[in-house]
Amino acid sequence: MNESVECEIKLERSLIQDGPKFLSHKLIVTDRVAYLKPTISSMLFCFVYIVVGMFLISLASYVLLQSQKLDLAIFIGGFGIAIGTFGVSLIQPFLQRASFDKHSGVFNNKRDRDVKIKHIVSLQINNKVVIRKQALSYRCFELNMLTKNGRRINILNHNNAVQLELDARKLAKFLTVPLLDLRREIVL
Amino acid sequence: MNNSKFLISILMMVFAGNAMAADSTMGSFASVIGQVSASIDGFFKENLYGFVEIVFYSVPVGEANFPLIVGWLLLAAIIFTLYFGFVQIRKAKLSIDIVRGKYTDPNSNDVGEVSHFQALATALSGTVGLGNIAGVGVALAIGGPGATFWMILCGLLGMASKFCECTLGVKYRTILPSGAVSGGPMYYLRDGMAEIGFAGLGKVLAVGFALMCILGSFGGGNMFQANQAHAMLTYAFDVPAEYGLLTGLVLAALVFSVIIGGMPSIAAVTEKVVPWMAVIYVGMSLVVIIAHVDQIGAAFNAIFEGAFTGAGVVGGFIGALIQGLKRATFSNEAGVGSAAIAHSAAKTKEPVTEGLVSLLEPFIDTVVICTMTALVITIAGLNTAPFDGAGLTGVTLTAASFTDTSEIFKYMLAFVVILFAFSTMISWSYYGLKAWTFLFGESKSVEMLFKIIFCVFVVVGATIQFGAVIDFSDAAIFAMSIFNIIGLYFLMPIVKRELNKFVAKIDSGEIKKFD
Repeated sequence: MNESVECEIKLERSLIQDGPKFLSHKLIVTDRVAYLKPTISSMLFCFVYIVVGMFLISLASYVLLQSQKLDLAIFIGGFGIAIGTFGVSLIQPFLQRASFDKHSGVFNNKRDRDVKIKHIVSLQINNKVVIRKQALSYRCFELNMLTKNGRRINILNHNNAVQLELDARKLAKFLTVPLLDLRREIVL
Repeated sequence: MNNSKFLISILMMVFAGNAMAADSTMGSFASVIGQVSASIDGFFKENLYGFVEIVFYSVPVGEANFPLIVGWLLLAAIIFTLYFGFVQIRKAKLSIDIVRGKYTDPNSNDVGEVSHFQALATALSGTVGLGNIAGVGVALAIGGPGATFWMILCGLLGMASKFCECTLGVKYRTILPSGAVSGGPMYYLRDGMAEIGFAGLGKVLAVGFALMCILGSFGGGNMFQANQAHAMLTYAFDVPAEYGLLTGLVLAALVFSVIIGGMPSIAAVTEKVVPWMAVIYVGMSLVVIIAHVDQIGAAFNAIFEGAFTGAGVVGGFIGALIQGLKRATFSNEAGVGSAAIAHSAAKTKEPVTEGLVSLLEPFIDTVVICTMTALVITIAGLNTAPFDGAGLTGVTLTAASFTDTSEIFKYMLAFVVILFAFSTMISWSYYGLKAWTFLFGESKSVEMLFKIIFCVFVVVGATIQFGAVIDFSDAAIFAMSIFNIIGLYFLMPIVKRELNKFVAKIDSGEIKKFD
């Protein structure tokens, strides 16, 4: 092992390549707990898929019962199941509330390994441009945290800069850690 | 903004007035849909058919009426091919090397970097679609097997047009304060023409292009797709034509969630799934062709003979040529300008690299995939003279030809067609939105208005059952080329300079090749 190797963590770099083009979550701070609450609009867009999926599954059942067209029923039902499942998979991350709990002393986002709150070193705001070939490219922002072990974990990821700044400040105050604004000019 | 209000009021009048009238006289769902369909078709015939006639203004050539717009596109492709010294042949290897990443530093790992291969795959997913399936069906039904030859020729020549427009698309793109990359003919016509001292003409061309692009996005990029998707369901499963309303509503809901919701994972899924659809389609075609390998020679014979004799085609060989050129343009969009909008978002420092990558599209789209479809149709032998489009045509001819080999292809094709239609609608919503915001400015309400109208047109397209809307769809897309190509003639020296500069950088070693 070469212990003289230096390791630099590039805090300016965003953690996630993608990001939604809407406000996905807001931070809610109570006395001892801070958690991320999904917005209604983000849930609604997921529901479109669930509704369309359920509609197609119902239609497939109707076709099967009324006209006995097995092939059409399978085709419509297959699409319905695929679209519905897709909707459920989309909505799941929104339902899992990431939280900073001072009672238990951990940050839990139901995805990464739990982080002890006392190990959080700083928060960073990063910006990025989500590039789409078949849709408008757009700016997106991340709120990330750095732990004393050098792990970087994403907390928020959406395109509402004002709300993200507000939430970042609230969270930094709650955790009593510095907030670094690392947004940079992105040249495409 | 007044234009958009006008459009909405027309739509409301069409829907409310005619649906209510139909409801009072006929009870059944089918009758109501039939009435609405006829009303919309009537509206297009009465109010917009003049536009179709202008775009497809024809002059008699031999026994056929030759649409000038087809000549316009062909002439442009020939001129660009000669002007750039057969760039599609001379620089083909360079294009493939760029796509293979040989000019990309393997140590560069910029976040958000879209590789040229990814860029090509994504652009292809926007180009490969119903034009290759339904479009070829139309071409062969009206132009006979010989139309295939002219499609291939148009694809080969169109590579130069695409190279020119996509290079300009990147060179004159604009980064908006919102971070969005805006590019395409609207911008190179306005800014590029201003740079060479034709600001006034550039503005006129840019506005004209943007207007046609909006119409094209509602027509060929939307209604045609929804219409053919439902036609495919009708063919494969005997779904009554009037149930297109349901197909339209489901498609509109999904399109709505993508273009209004901006959910990243959905866009990502679409971008990932569609290239696989192209792979499935090519795989199906290969299975049919290999299963009838003994008939390939005869099929090519029919294609070459038909190209020059035009036997059984209205207008003889000119008739075959017209259909081949029309459908090839509809499929590969070379010279139309739409691809320049998509390619302008690519992350590249050298505009010409994007042009070189894009020139492979007409080759893959038309020369390879359209030819495969044409071979499948010719081998199946269901398309017989006289080629007047009275029998099987469009997506149903293609589907019937696939089904001739195996029933399973009917279902696979239905799946592929629906996903292609969906992804093409998403792509064209983007093109249309770019043109819309260019004309009316960037604001949430302006964008939302376009998106809502776009979704309404999805339902309209799937519901209508008549030809006027399809003619309109065609005309709007071809009209884009009128404005685009005028600008390309003025701006092609800039593209040539960019190409020479890039080649010089490679020769000098400034741009390194990584093996």
